[in-house]
Amino acid sequence: MKDEAIYRRLFRTALLIRLVEERIIALYPSDKIQSPVHLSIGQESVAVGVCDGLRPDDLVFATYRSHGFYIAKGGRLDAMFAELYGRTGGISGGKAGSMHLTAPEVGLMGSSAVVASTIPHAVGAALSFKRRGVDRLAVAVFGDGATEEGVYHESLNFAALMKVPVLFLCEDNGLAVHSHRPVRQAYRLAEHAASYGIANRRVEEGWDMLAVRRATLEAAARVRAGEPFVLEIVTSRYKEHVGVGEDFHFNYRTKDGVDAWKGRDPLIVDAQLVEVFRPELEREIAAAVAFAEASPAPGHAELLTDVI
Amino acid sequence: MSIATVKPISQGARILSYAGALLETMDAALASHANAFIMGQGVDDFKGIFGSTTGLAEKYGAARVFDVPLMEEGMTGVAIGAALVGDYPITTHIRADFSFLAMNQIINLASKYRYMFGGLMSCPMLIRIVVGRSWGQGAQHSQSPQATFAHYPGLTVVMPSSSQAILDMYPAIINRHPGPVISIEHRLLYNLDFTVSPSEKRVPLTSYVAREGSDVTVVATSVMVLEALRAAQYVQDEAGISAEIVDLNSISHPDWDLVAASLAKTGRLVIADTSWLEYGVAAEVCRQLVVRDPRLLRQPPAMLGMAPAPCPTAKSLEDIYYPSQHETVDAILTQVKGEGHGIALPVERSMTEGYKRFRGPF
Repeated sequence: MKDEAIYRRLFRTALLIRLVEERIIALYPSDKIQSPVHLSIGQESVAVGVCDGLRPDDLVFATYRSHGFYIAKGGRLDAMFAELYGRTGGISGGKAGSMHLTAPEVGLMGSSAVVASTIPHAVGAALSFKRRGVDRLAVAVFGDGATEEGVYHESLNFAALMKVPVLFLCEDNGLAVHSHRPVRQAYRLAEHAASYGIANRRVEEGWDMLAVRRATLEAAARVRAGEPFVLEIVTSRYKEHVGVGEDFHFNYRTKDGVDAWKGRDPLIVDAQLVEVFRPELEREIAAAVAFAEASPAPGHAELLTDVI
Repeated sequence: MSIATVKPISQGARILSYAGALLETMDAALASHANAFIMGQGVDDFKGIFGSTTGLAEKYGAARVFDVPLMEEGMTGVAIGAALVGDYPITTHIRADFSFLAMNQIINLASKYRYMFGGLMSCPMLIRIVVGRSWGQGAQHSQSPQATFAHYPGLTVVMPSSSQAILDMYPAIINRHPGPVISIEHRLLYNLDFTVSPSEKRVPLTSYVAREGSDVTVVATSVMVLEALRAAQYVQDEAGISAEIVDLNSISHPDWDLVAASLAKTGRLVIADTSWLEYGVAAEVCRQLVVRDPRLLRQPPAMLGMAPAPCPTAKSLEDIYYPSQHETVDAILTQVKGEGHGIALPVERSMTEGYKRFRGPF
C-alpha cells in the first residue's frame, strides 16, 4: 500500500479521536459526563501510528489518557460514549468511565489511573506469550512521568532478563501534570534503557503518523524476534492535564511550544483532508452520543455485581 | 510434632505436614493446569519456600517455576498481566511484610479489575504470603495483614490453619475462584504434622466449626485456632467447660451465620487473632454480631491478639507480646466462670513453648 493510502487511513482515525474529544469538550458543561477526562488532543498521532504498526491481536495496556488508544485499537464508539456517560450501554456498564477504558475484544487490556501501574501487566502478558510460543506482543503505554516510578525499572529489568516480547511505548509530552522534566529526571531515558541492554529509539516527529507507524513496525519486528524495546515518541498535550480547558494562563508553561507543534499538526495543517472526512465522522459521533443518551443509568441491580 | 487436634487415624487418613500439603497442592496445580505457574523469590532454590515448592522447578521446568528479581510490585503486576491473558499465576512472599511492596498492584489493580471494567477483565491468581512469629522475627518479619487485605472489596483472603484446609481450599481456589486470592500462611504451622483424610466434608472457602462446644465460642484465625483447640482441651479436662472453636478461615468472606449461631448457643465469646485487635478481625467480629443482635453477647467478649506495638525482637518482650497459652485459657475460663475462677492455668506459658523446635534462620 502506498504511503498516501496509509496516511489517509491513519488521518481518518486521528481525526476521529480529535473530533470525539472536541465533542467531549462541547458536552462537558452539560455535566452529562460526570467524571474527570484526560484529553489526548495533540497526541493522536502517537495512538494511531502505534496501533496501525501493530497486529490486531497484539495487546495494548494503557493509561487514564487513553481515548486515543481505545479508538485507534478499534474500540466501539457508542460503548465509549455510553461509558463516559456512566450508562449500562458503556463498555464496562459505566463502572469504568473515561479513565478506565478497556476493549479486550480488540486488544486494549485495561487502562489505569495510577501512573505506571499497567507497565508490568504488558510484561506479564508477554511472558505468557513467550512461554506458550504464541507470536504476539504486548505494548505498555505510559507517559514520561511514569518512567520515574520504581515499577518501570522493575519491569524493564525483568523483561530484559526474561527476553519477553514487550514494547515499552513512552508518550513523551514533557509534563507530569504541571511538572517539567528537569525537576523530575536525573537520567536520560535512552541511556537508562540501554543499561539493561534494551534497544531503544526516540522519535522526535511525534506529530508525523507515518513516522510513528514506521518506528513501531521496526520496533515490533525486533520485539517479535524476542527482545524488549523502548520506543519513545515526543508529543504535545494541548489541553490541561485533566479537564477540557487550556491552562496557559497559569503560566507554568508557555503557549509557544504548543503553537510550534500545532504548526506541524496534520489535523490542523491538512485542513482540506479534515473537511473530506469530517462529515462522516461527525455522523458516527452523533450516533454514538445518541446511543449514550438513550442508554439507561445503572442502579442497585448493578452496584454489587462483578466484585469478586 | 503432632498437635492435640490430631485424631486417631481413620480409614484413608494420613499424616501430612502443612508444608507437605502446600507442596502437594502446588504440584497438583501445575499438573492440572498447563497455564499455571509459580514465581517468587527463591521458589526454585534448595529451600523452596520452606519446602512448599521444592523440586517443582525440576519437575515442570524453569518456564513454570522460577525465581524473580526483588520486585514485589513488578512481580504482582506481571502476574496480573499473565492472568489477564488466561494464565493462573501463583506468587509467593516469604514474609507477609514484603507483600506491602506489592500493595499498589494488589489493591489498586488486582482487587478492582473485575468490577472496574464491568466484568470484562478478571485476574484470578493466588498470592501466598507467610507470617513469621518467634525466634526474633522482629518488627518487619512478623506482621499478619489479614484485616488490611480483607478491607478491600475484590480480594478474597484466607488463612489456612491446617494441612486439611490447604488440601481442601487450594484446589477450589485454583480451579474455580474467579478473582485474586491472598492466602496468609503461618510459618509456625509449616513444620507441624496434621492428620488429613479424604472425607466428604471439605474445609469450605468460608468459616467452619473446628470443635463443637456449648459453653463459650472461640472465634480464631490461623495458628490461634491451634492455640484455641489446645486451650479448649485444657478447660474441658480441668473445668468441664465445653468450648466451641470457629475457625474463621476466610477473613474476607466469613460465615457470619455460623458465628452468630454459635453465639446464640453459648452467649460467650473469645476472639483469638494473629494480628492487632485495633480495626482488625476482632473488631469486625464484634461489629457483625452487634449489628445483627447485641443480645447474642451475654457479656463483654474477650479478645486476644498482638500487643498494640510493633513486634519486638528480644525474646523476653516477644514472649509477652503474643497471647500466651495461659492467657487463652484464662480468657475462656473467665468468660464462663467469671473473674477469679480459681482454676489453675497451664504451666506451659505459650504455644510458642511447643514451637521450641522451631529455630531460624527462617
